[in-house]
Amino acid sequence: MQPGFKSSPKAHIVRIVLTLVAVMIAGTFIRQAMLPDEFGKLGHYRPGAVEDEANRQARIMSSESCFECHPLIKKIHVDGVHKTVLCEVCHGAYADHVKDDVVFATMPVVRGQDIKPMCVKCHNKIIQAMPPESIKLVAFPEHLEEKKVRTHHICDQCHHVHAPLKWVHEAREMMGLPPERERS
Amino acid sequence: MTRLRSEIDLDRRGFIKKVLSGAIGGSLLLVLPQGSALIAQQLAGVGDEKEPYLNGKKFAFVVDITNCIGCGTCCVADKNEYQVPDGHFRTWVERYLIDDQDNVYVDSPNGGLDGFLTGRDDIPNPLRDTFFVPKLCNMCEKSSCVQVCPVGATFRSPDGFVLIDEKRCVGCSYCVQACPYSVRFINPVKKTAEKCTWCYHRVRKGMQPACVDACPTQARIFGDLNDKQSEVYKLLHEPQVISVLKPDMGNEPSLHYLGLRREVT
Repeated sequence: MQPGFKSSPKAHIVRIVLTLVAVMIAGTFIRQAMLPDEFGKLGHYRPGAVEDEANRQARIMSSESCFECHPLIKKIHVDGVHKTVLCEVCHGAYADHVKDDVVFATMPVVRGQDIKPMCVKCHNKIIQAMPPESIKLVAFPEHLEEKKVRTHHICDQCHHVHAPLKWVHEAREMMGLPPERERS
Repeated sequence: MTRLRSEIDLDRRGFIKKVLSGAIGGSLLLVLPQGSALIAQQLAGVGDEKEPYLNGKKFAFVVDITNCIGCGTCCVADKNEYQVPDGHFRTWVERYLIDDQDNVYVDSPNGGLDGFLTGRDDIPNPLRDTFFVPKLCNMCEKSSCVQVCPVGATFRSPDGFVLIDEKRCVGCSYCVQACPYSVRFINPVKKTAEKCTWCYHRVRKGMQPACVDACPTQARIFGDLNDKQSEVYKLLHEPQVISVLKPDMGNEPSLHYLGLRREVT
């Protein structure tokens, strides 16, 4: 120890306390700087996040939006048994078709052999767990054999995809047969 | 001559009138938006911008298992709405097959996104009970995910929706582990947690969630429990076989299942 320098016996405690206070003050300032504005106003989160989520653009619009420009399809679709099937499920999201009220891309239309899996998704008798009373279920190729058509026929050769019983009804009417029982 | 002159004048006045009204009408047509998206007012009393949050409303979701045909339409709509990366699901459909020995077989090929195209031929015993269970966020009143988030990125909004703040989320996946219903995943592109929000942005605009809109058999029902005219209020206040998933976890979900079997977890 140097002569003339006399350390206080509590110097180490003072040093620790001063360091801790400095760390706490610095910590408070850093936390203030790092936290977003208004954090904790409503809870332990950023209130702006609610608005961020609410401002997300809806990409799926209702079928009504589609029918505005497609009145002929609407006429067929809403009269058929597929009236509860949303346009955008088969054709893709509205937002991929119209932007700022201007059509900028055409929507995919499923044609040919690709149609069958779309129909079979809902109407396949083989799928266990499907409540049989809710929709018409058919088995393949039994349904085609029963209707006396070739087994490679695609569904839309007999059924209009928007109104599956439209042509069936029309054909039966033409032949003077009673209408088939319809499911709603 | 004067008679003719006045007739011409009259005609000219009529002509100018017609041209003017035509011009005004035409320019109005140009100004008015055409072919705009009809935001259908599907939820009663929601969508007026006067209130910042949906105060005074208590939303509930009911899934009617007895109506679900497992077509996967809800999953397709959900994937389209949020452009969910392949292999991850904000909502999915499970197929439950229970045989007469009480063995339970559950599968969900690609989350039910492509529907269920084939049956199961690996089950030796005859089946006793078969049904589909659509899964989505349970919007728990006491959510585990909110409790474990270390950065306040998951929270329960003032109107009762459990949401994620993408800007705060650090992708630690504590919430993914904490959720008893496994509805959360880490988005591989954004590297943040993601889950079903019951389409909060649509509900705020007065629209139904995308999956509810898309369901062809009305197996998904969404509405306000404080509105006594709503379908969910009627369903939850009538004698029904109705339950929530894992009630013993104490999370108090707002998602209810109609016709739920005890085998479903």
